[in-house]
Amino acid sequence: MKKIKLGAATGWSRDRFGPAEDLVKHGNLDYLCFESMSEVTMSEAQVKKVDDPNTSGYDPYLVDRLGPILKECKEKGIKIISNQGWINPEGAAEKILEVAQSQGINNLKVAAVNGGILTDNITDLAFAFLEDGESISDYKDDIVSAEAYLGAEGIVDALKNEADVIVTTRVGDACLYLGPLAYEFDWDFDHYDAIAKGMVVGHLMECACQITGGYFSDPGYKHVPNPGELGHPIAEVSEDKIYITKLSNTGGVVSTETCKEQLLYEVQDPANYLCPDVVADFTKVSFLDAGKDRVEVICHEGVGRPKTGALKVLVGLKEGYLAEEMMLFAGPGARERSEVAKSILINRFEQISLRPKEMRWDYLGVNSVHREASSSLEETPYELILRVALKTESLHDAEKLRKEIDPMAVNGPSGTGKWGPMGNRVRPIIGLRSVLVPEEEAPTAVVYRE
Amino acid sequence: MKRVQLREVAHARSGEKGDTVNVSVIAYKEKDYAIIKEQVTIDAVRELYGPITNGNIQRYEAPNIGALNFVLEGALGGGRSRTLAFDESGKSLSSRVLTMPIEVTDDYVTRSEDMKSSHSGIKEAVVHSEKD
Repeated sequence: MKKIKLGAATGWSRDRFGPAEDLVKHGNLDYLCFESMSEVTMSEAQVKKVDDPNTSGYDPYLVDRLGPILKECKEKGIKIISNQGWINPEGAAEKILEVAQSQGINNLKVAAVNGGILTDNITDLAFAFLEDGESISDYKDDIVSAEAYLGAEGIVDALKNEADVIVTTRVGDACLYLGPLAYEFDWDFDHYDAIAKGMVVGHLMECACQITGGYFSDPGYKHVPNPGELGHPIAEVSEDKIYITKLSNTGGVVSTETCKEQLLYEVQDPANYLCPDVVADFTKVSFLDAGKDRVEVICHEGVGRPKTGALKVLVGLKEGYLAEEMMLFAGPGARERSEVAKSILINRFEQISLRPKEMRWDYLGVNSVHREASSSLEETPYELILRVALKTESLHDAEKLRKEIDPMAVNGPSGTGKWGPMGNRVRPIIGLRSVLVPEEEAPTAVVYRE
Repeated sequence: MKRVQLREVAHARSGEKGDTVNVSVIAYKEKDYAIIKEQVTIDAVRELYGPITNGNIQRYEAPNIGALNFVLEGALGGGRSRTLAFDESGKSLSSRVLTMPIEVTDDYVTRSEDMKSSHSGIKEAVVHSEKD
């Protein structure tokens, strides 16, 4: 029976580099998939493009990631599927060909999957934001980007056209894996249980090592061997079986526990996981221990239902500026001295008319991580850091914060430590909201370079 | 009956979508799903996360994997791209639910006891940290 092996090279744009090479060398793979986006990636790329029209628009790590593996993948017939194309998949495809030529790789066919960029017409296509029902046209002037999550169709087409490398714009993360599975097993997109099975595999694989022991270790409770050398996951899929595993000589662990955590990761209602190609019901998924670092994924009947026909679109909006600073305290009276610093700054903000839209104060080491939900500490820790972060309409106002923090080095309470990194602590905010658009408004287009 | 922290019965992971945080609670032993289903209620979760949740708290059940999934709306200060929270993605938030007090029978074998007796987890973890 046909069995397909897919490896997860990266779980996000700044993931480790080594696992991809290990998987290509030792994984006996059919496909290697790179997930390289977070929600804000496309908006940031769009803003960068406005500031610098010469910017590439694709993942700056494109060459660093694909360069070292391209030749071996071509030789072994491992197809590469990557969403590193961001807002310029065609440019990424051309760059990949350039790398191939410089390495003497012949006959490489690269597909660029494009579409879904709706920045210019989103206010014609959608009326209200999903989050709060506010009218999108009220924000017309603030919109910097709008991109739909595309389905797996473009990837399937590219594989039918025998592409060796497929580089995409924003597609649903899990579609990087659904695409090759739908192609290999010739699944009809109306076969909801099959498509949902592909989505389940994709959802489990898309964060790479988060299913092989990353984001998992908790000494005394959850053990991860050799966490500095986590192997990335491999999915072995046939028509009737799915296994998640990893290379045996790597660190980490694949267990029913790691799989369950990842199944629910970033999920809201598990019975209604909305994807571009299908609605998946994760409550109809279970896991079986199938040996060391090997778990069988079981998708029960009814795991898939028809797609909604609407695509989710992320809309990036200019929302002013954020400024953040910190001051360091330790030893006796640290808490009291940090409170003096805070009251000095509040007084100074009044004097210079710094009136942020929003502001928060944290004590790192006390309540900065779980914020107001933190358990109250009876004793002040030996050291703590006072942090202030605020939002302003204008860059000018945001920069006022720095001008009040720096003088604290000589004007603040006794033993005020200065935060080391003196880089740019003021940054523009691109807020994200979402809307739905009918799928026919965001068609996928595939172009080829060879 | 005795009282233990939830971390002795279940593990958890948090993730984000926009301004919404999800916290999964997964029984280590699938038979203990009944314990978490009964005791890890929306009210109990609100006790822990209420101060940072500016919206509804929903609870979803996934009995096939012995898990609950909590969805906390408005818990990220506007969402990763615009929040003033120091942990902008909320990836730290799962550890909060693990502090929840849970009642178990006196003979209940906790996760940490299980790990000590059946696994060298703690020992190895200590060795690792010494090496670091």
